[in-house]
Amino acid sequence: MYALISIASGVASGLIGFYLGIGLTALVRVAFGHSPWDAQISITVGYIFGLVGWLMGIGMWGAWGREWFGLPTYARKAPGWQRYFVFNTDHKVIGIQYLVTFVVVFLLAGLLAMLMRAELAQAGNQFLTNDQYNAIMGLHGILMVAVAVAAVIGGIGNYAVPLMIGAQDMAFPRLNALTYWLNPPVALLLLLTPALGGLETGWTAYPPLSVLTENAQLLFNLAIITFGLTSILGGLNFIATIIYLRAPGMTWGRLPIFVWSMFVAAWLALLFTQGFAAALLMVLLDRALGMSFFNAQNGGDPLLYQHVFWFYSHPAVYIMVVPGFGLALELITHFSRKPLFAYKYAVGGLLGILGLSGLVWAHHMFTSGMPNYLHGPFLVLTEAISIPTGLIFLSALGTIFMGKLWLKTPMLFALAVIFNFALGGITGIFLADVPTDIHFQDTYFVVAHFHYTIVGGEIFALFGAIYYYFPKMTGRMYNETLGRLHFWWMFLGFNATFFLMHWPGILGMNRRIADYPSSLEGINLIISLAAFALGASFLVFVFNMIYSWVRGPVAEANPWRARTLEWQTSSPPPVENFPAPPVVRGHPYEYGVPGSVHAIVPTPLPGGAPAGGAK
Amino acid sequence: MARHIVNIVVIWVILTVLGALVLTLNFFPATGAEFAKDFNGIFRLLAFMGLPVVTFVFAWVGYSFFAFRARSGEDEGPAFWGRNWVPIVWLAVTAALAITVMIYPGLTGLAKLQADPRGYGWGETGADLVVKVTGFRWSWSFEYPQQGITVNAVQGRELVLPVDATVRFEVNSTDVVHSFWIPAFRMKIDAIPGRTTYMVVRPVVTGSFDDDQAFRVQCAELCGLDHAKMWLPVRVVEREEFEAWVQQMKAQ
Repeated sequence: MYALISIASGVASGLIGFYLGIGLTALVRVAFGHSPWDAQISITVGYIFGLVGWLMGIGMWGAWGREWFGLPTYARKAPGWQRYFVFNTDHKVIGIQYLVTFVVVFLLAGLLAMLMRAELAQAGNQFLTNDQYNAIMGLHGILMVAVAVAAVIGGIGNYAVPLMIGAQDMAFPRLNALTYWLNPPVALLLLLTPALGGLETGWTAYPPLSVLTENAQLLFNLAIITFGLTSILGGLNFIATIIYLRAPGMTWGRLPIFVWSMFVAAWLALLFTQGFAAALLMVLLDRALGMSFFNAQNGGDPLLYQHVFWFYSHPAVYIMVVPGFGLALELITHFSRKPLFAYKYAVGGLLGILGLSGLVWAHHMFTSGMPNYLHGPFLVLTEAISIPTGLIFLSALGTIFMGKLWLKTPMLFALAVIFNFALGGITGIFLADVPTDIHFQDTYFVVAHFHYTIVGGEIFALFGAIYYYFPKMTGRMYNETLGRLHFWWMFLGFNATFFLMHWPGILGMNRRIADYPSSLEGINLIISLAAFALGASFLVFVFNMIYSWVRGPVAEANPWRARTLEWQTSSPPPVENFPAPPVVRGHPYEYGVPGSVHAIVPTPLPGGAPAGGAK
Repeated sequence: MARHIVNIVVIWVILTVLGALVLTLNFFPATGAEFAKDFNGIFRLLAFMGLPVVTFVFAWVGYSFFAFRARSGEDEGPAFWGRNWVPIVWLAVTAALAITVMIYPGLTGLAKLQADPRGYGWGETGADLVVKVTGFRWSWSFEYPQQGITVNAVQGRELVLPVDATVRFEVNSTDVVHSFWIPAFRMKIDAIPGRTTYMVVRPVVTGSFDDDQAFRVQCAELCGLDHAKMWLPVRVVEREEFEAWVQQMKAQ
């Protein structure tokens, strides 16, 4: 009931705002002698009003907005599972909201990929027309980009970072709730794009096509500008939290490596996301107001967009993969039962990536006709980023060496990150090197490469972290056998699909096409079959998660014998995390060091009940 | 410890040899130009340089997976912190590898590729033949100004080039961004509205789409509805045959 009231009032005031915006636009337009409706302007203004209405209705008005007018604030009460459907400021609730939302989006976008592979199993158009294929491909792309940006940072980061540094919550809890509740409108807009003609431009939205195309592009632009806002606000919140809310004694040199990686990713999100939002805002202005930023006939330049866009979108891949590295190293050290090898170098590697990531964007544009003298510097800088990345590998390989590897599901996923990224990193060299890139640009070689880095590097880490934190989040244990089954199935399906995908790229199969030359048919059929196997592996995951959340055995506070702070409180933790701030005394990874102590933690308060109540 | 290192090195060598055997296979499409051979060579070189890096990680992770597994989380491993010479050597080796790749085949290959400051050419700058390429949604037209002929949607629908002649493509677009790509030549350049881009190619073997489907002009930048269908066959022919084709086109 509480959940229903919360969502219903959000939707209702969102709709009121939307129509209010459209009405006001019509009034102003009529007053100046125009027709009352212009799709670009009316939808944009309606959306801005609707977005504010939605946020206020979902609970921001009560928890925050009233304060601006000197009124007392209140929070909607919601017991049990219903707390996930209200404007809740608890970082643990928000983390789970993010995680569940984006796992659902991941599965949905995965289904779209299955449709694409079904169409590509044979040459010619089987059951999708070209525009249907483009719409599905574009939607798969942008939904997966959203998952890759938000699932680890918003989900695992929100849940784990305050716990790991011994804080009670994020620095700005209400901002955190706002950040989450901006996401449902983004999802709604993107899912509505097929109704307005479908995305024609892929997730990269290059003008002039994105200026000329259907109004689905308008929804896309509004969605991504909103999503960019969540990324920026989230980044700001993590930076403030990690700088100011560390428990006494949690020095920078004792910070868990995942927290370091989140710190780096938060800076990247804060610094670079504006580029993406700005690029799409310019497309929006071109569409709505005819500003001609990208229209060559009126003095604009299509390449301007590509520079601004990639100035964000290359750092964005590090926003995605750096927390993946952090998680992989975190899991590897706990499950190897050894200190994290070369901790300071690993931190240096993460900071090196932060420093270089903003200087490599134009390697996406080697064939774009930009001046030739730009190619050399971008080639050199792009290949230089392999040096800090190598330090992550040093740390991982050094940690597992002579360890006591406890091969639970999370550890399997963490090892797979190292395995997959070795290949994904090396194929990046072919794309950084201009003479090879001018053939590979926009081919399936690129598709294989970025799936190896983002899925192989980040999404594997995400699933490892989901299994790792499942007992902490739900108070129940997942089924280990099903977890391992999911891992091996996904690992083999993933490698079969994407390793083979390099070959059609070499042979000359370009990406983003529903049809291809007949000679590429055999290899594409095999890739499609492998992709279906990969897709089916997630059925095991979904079953395990749902079943274990309801029926799994009650978990201990620290089933992994991990030393970091989030495991020193009950599972699930109480709302305030720790009864009093823990006092950190040493490094979090001193496994095998006699008498070592990470922190003195006050005796935990009784935590929340496991999901579904204690048994 | 030494025993484990030796085992890993043995596995590393075996994996590298197996990988090298795979890399000697011919997995390239038709090689229609001298510089497509350069591409094949650079690709193989990078693959052979990258192979030991990948197999090193595979060997290390794979060996550790079997050799260091423990039954439970009770035991704790030896506390190596990596505060010794190992990270310094690692940093030096990886940096040396990265710098090597940047210089050769990176910058050296780039210098040959971009001998002409305006576009690509793999050392070719002059032109025996100029072809003005225009991309539009969703096809191409080819104008041969020296011959006074134009190939468009009505006439021909193919790109015909003489063998052993240096061809300069001057590429434009009338609407959105396209990309002019001929896989058999391993070269592409974007077609951008409002500017001209250049690509110089010297085909060295005759061939056509019917022999190998890499002989085609393919749009390689998503341009909307029929992007997938935006391709035309390429035919590289002997000089005499090219002249005959020009006469035939003029007669039309």
